[in-house]
Amino acid sequence: MFQIFVNTHYNIVGKRVYAYWISGLLILAGLLSFILQGLNYGIDFRGGTLIQVKFEEPITAGEIRSLLKSPELGTPQIQRSGPNEYMIRVLSIGTGDEIQNMIQKDLQEKTFEVRRAEIVGPKIGEELRRKAFGAIFAALFLILVYISIRFELKFAIGAVLALFHDVLITLGLFSLFQWEISMPVLAAFLTIVGYSLNDTIVVFDRIRENRLTHKNKAFPDVINLSINESLSRTVITSLTTFLVVLILVLFGGEVLFGFSIAMLIGIIVGTYSSSFVASPLLIIWDKKVRQKDIKKK
Amino acid sequence: MQKKFMLNYVIIGVLLVWAAWQLIPTLRYEMMSEERKEELRMQGDLEPIQERIIRRGLDLQGGMHLVLEVNVSQLTQNIAQNKSQSYYQFMNQVEEQFTGQTDRDYFDILEEMANTQNFRLARHFPGRGDENPQIVASLRKEATDAVIRAEEIIRNRVDQFGVSEPTIQRQGDRRIIVELAGVTDPERATNLIQSTAQLEFVLLKDPEVVQDAISRIDAVVKKVDPGTLKDTTTVEDRVSQDKEVSVEELFGLTEDQADTEGDSTALVDETIFEDRPFSALLRNLGNDIGVPAENYYAVNQVLQNPEVQRVLPADIRILWSNAPETFTTQDGTQKEFYRLYFVNRDAGLTGEVVTDAKATLGGMDGSNMGQPIVNVSMNSEGAKTWSRMTGANVGKRIAIVLDDKVQIAPVIRDRITGGRTVIEGLTNIEEAKDIEICLKAGALPAPVDIIEKRTIGPSLGADSIRKGTMSALIGLLLVVLFIVVYYRASGIVAFVTLVLNIIFVLSVLALLRATLTLPGIAGLVLTVGMAVDANVLIFERIREELRKGKTVKASVDNGYSRAIITILDANLTTLIAALVLWQFGTGPIRGFAVVLFWGIIFNFVSGYFISKTILTTVTHGRTLKKLSI
Repeated sequence: MFQIFVNTHYNIVGKRVYAYWISGLLILAGLLSFILQGLNYGIDFRGGTLIQVKFEEPITAGEIRSLLKSPELGTPQIQRSGPNEYMIRVLSIGTGDEIQNMIQKDLQEKTFEVRRAEIVGPKIGEELRRKAFGAIFAALFLILVYISIRFELKFAIGAVLALFHDVLITLGLFSLFQWEISMPVLAAFLTIVGYSLNDTIVVFDRIRENRLTHKNKAFPDVINLSINESLSRTVITSLTTFLVVLILVLFGGEVLFGFSIAMLIGIIVGTYSSSFVASPLLIIWDKKVRQKDIKKK
Repeated sequence: MQKKFMLNYVIIGVLLVWAAWQLIPTLRYEMMSEERKEELRMQGDLEPIQERIIRRGLDLQGGMHLVLEVNVSQLTQNIAQNKSQSYYQFMNQVEEQFTGQTDRDYFDILEEMANTQNFRLARHFPGRGDENPQIVASLRKEATDAVIRAEEIIRNRVDQFGVSEPTIQRQGDRRIIVELAGVTDPERATNLIQSTAQLEFVLLKDPEVVQDAISRIDAVVKKVDPGTLKDTTTVEDRVSQDKEVSVEELFGLTEDQADTEGDSTALVDETIFEDRPFSALLRNLGNDIGVPAENYYAVNQVLQNPEVQRVLPADIRILWSNAPETFTTQDGTQKEFYRLYFVNRDAGLTGEVVTDAKATLGGMDGSNMGQPIVNVSMNSEGAKTWSRMTGANVGKRIAIVLDDKVQIAPVIRDRITGGRTVIEGLTNIEEAKDIEICLKAGALPAPVDIIEKRTIGPSLGADSIRKGTMSALIGLLLVVLFIVVYYRASGIVAFVTLVLNIIFVLSVLALLRATLTLPGIAGLVLTVGMAVDANVLIFERIREELRKGKTVKASVDNGYSRAIITILDANLTTLIAALVLWQFGTGPIRGFAVVLFWGIIFNFVSGYFISKTILTTVTHGRTLKKLSI
């Protein structure tokens, strides 16, 4: 048998303090960046115009910028998306069609092909943003309900806190690097929620099972044992999922880039949090409940 | 084979046959050459096949996605009568409130403001009741009807435009989504859909009224920023009568507008610039007011200025001609001009009376020889009004307005009876044809605004398909390699179930006539990742049991029965996420959710059921000493 991580006895629960530091710092960095520079909402959520053009002859982003002369365009965002191919984004002003025509008129002296043009009104952008965040919270709530039914409330809270942790860190990184938040990225976020939970629940299942078979063991030890027992599966699954998403990042093209990078980060953070955050959180909760019980007695 | 697995194999067999049955049309279609497709289309045999294939989303084949919103505020304006100055003031306030807020209904605002300001709506919306709430309720109903009608009309227009498989559906109570695959001329399609086809016959204002309006505008513009105006008029170049000034200088834009880089310039008549800055933007074109094309933006800015709107009489409407015309100026250069018309606010006659329209090239006689024109016929009521209107205004000019653009403004020479008229001034026959389509399908009850528009070129779609399938294949290959190396023979079982999972998901897509989008492909890739998880969970359990020294048979049985609980819990949570995405998502996101949803469902089928059947058959048949896992 070719195996990794068999019969490991890593003291993961014992090292949870480090995990708290790492997570705390990552979340803090994300929050700071969030406060200082906010999120880079794409036109999907802010309204605006995006035009993707492919030129026949070589051209640089600077040259495109110098060609765009219409004052109404303001300072468009120009991003390379392939050989001689660029995406030009203009935030919501005027009607999209006018903006699109202006860009095309300004670029007239070069030969190019419009490969994609997207116009989102400012109103619908804001609406989409509101709906999207509503969806994330709805998903979190439903999952909380499901885990409470299948396990216990404390598991549910541990799992949902770990989820918040994952989403916060991923969002923080998006803010830090100012990656654009578009519709697909949001879909990725919801998938992260599902995926990270997948991981957490596998460990929780073990804890539930081991609590019955190892009744004489202390709760933290049961948790540690369960994490170790699931480690092999966690690593293999994360590795395979990581592989397929990595392929998407590398070959999926720029349309899928935001989506795949969010998934990639989500998988790393989700794997880490199921072992290092969600389960140790159970201990804190357990301790508190026990102290209350002692007081009652 | 043992008897107890018979049923399992029958089920698997049925599933495979079903999947093949679902997928064969897609496979056939994808492998067909273009000529063959064309041939089948001619025979009418292509459509039954197309009915049963997995369609490609707009992001994969190129096309246009439009979200239209019926402009309820305009609709209300159209219904209103007895429009007085106070009416316009009130309505403008409502409008302002409405544009400023994103999540409130127009009619809620209308009702609330009418109540707080004690504005009696009954005066302007007769026949709908006495109390404001009553009237608002009736307007609300009319708006809902208007959206339904608009959907119908747009469907008719799109059908006549000739796109294969258009999707038109209502969303919410104000919106219509239009999806056109493979549209080559998105601009023409948009115009056709959006055109209200609002045909109006409107009398032009008398020259004195126009002169007065222009001087009022001049006064306003001059007042805005006299300082800057003075600076720009230092005379340097006496040879040219025209001079360029920046638009910002001309009428002192507000700061955030002026923030834009570069300068757009307007051509002004130097001699009159200082006194009458607005008039300086205009030129004489015979009896009409001409605006040099480069001044279009500047003039529009001036006309939209709220200050300017305030000083204009309430019953004036200022309209542009539909296209620029080329004239030769005094110094012999060619220049493009738009015409600017001052007309009555209320149309004397609207396109509702149109019974038929026909686009054609003008005959050999008359002024429109060989030019594209549209012949319009009216019903008897329209003909009566038309005859009365033309009879009473002989010698005056009347504008034929289509969608707020003046097509032509001839002098009425005689009373026109019989209800026939001609729309001239079109640039090409295509435009005439589109007008014909719009007039025939009927006018939209209210203008529709495009609030979202996504166009994807076919070349980008092809690129996406290539990249998407390539990533999916590479991903699958890597995962399979890893699994087979790691779990050996059992890994091959995992590989089989993985492939089956993908096949099943695609079959369901075909069954549901769902659309495969780029995020859908990503969902497929993710399904591969999740499907592996089920196998990993099971195999790791089996290994654990083996390590405990249990027999192969017992290990396999225990492995499956223990893993199922975990698989269920883990996958059901992802299922929740997929369902939420499905619920809130639009277009491509929904495509992703659908694939993810079915991926998980079939994960239970192939990742658990089929894999279990195979492995237990192998281990139960004989007494295996070792399992290749």
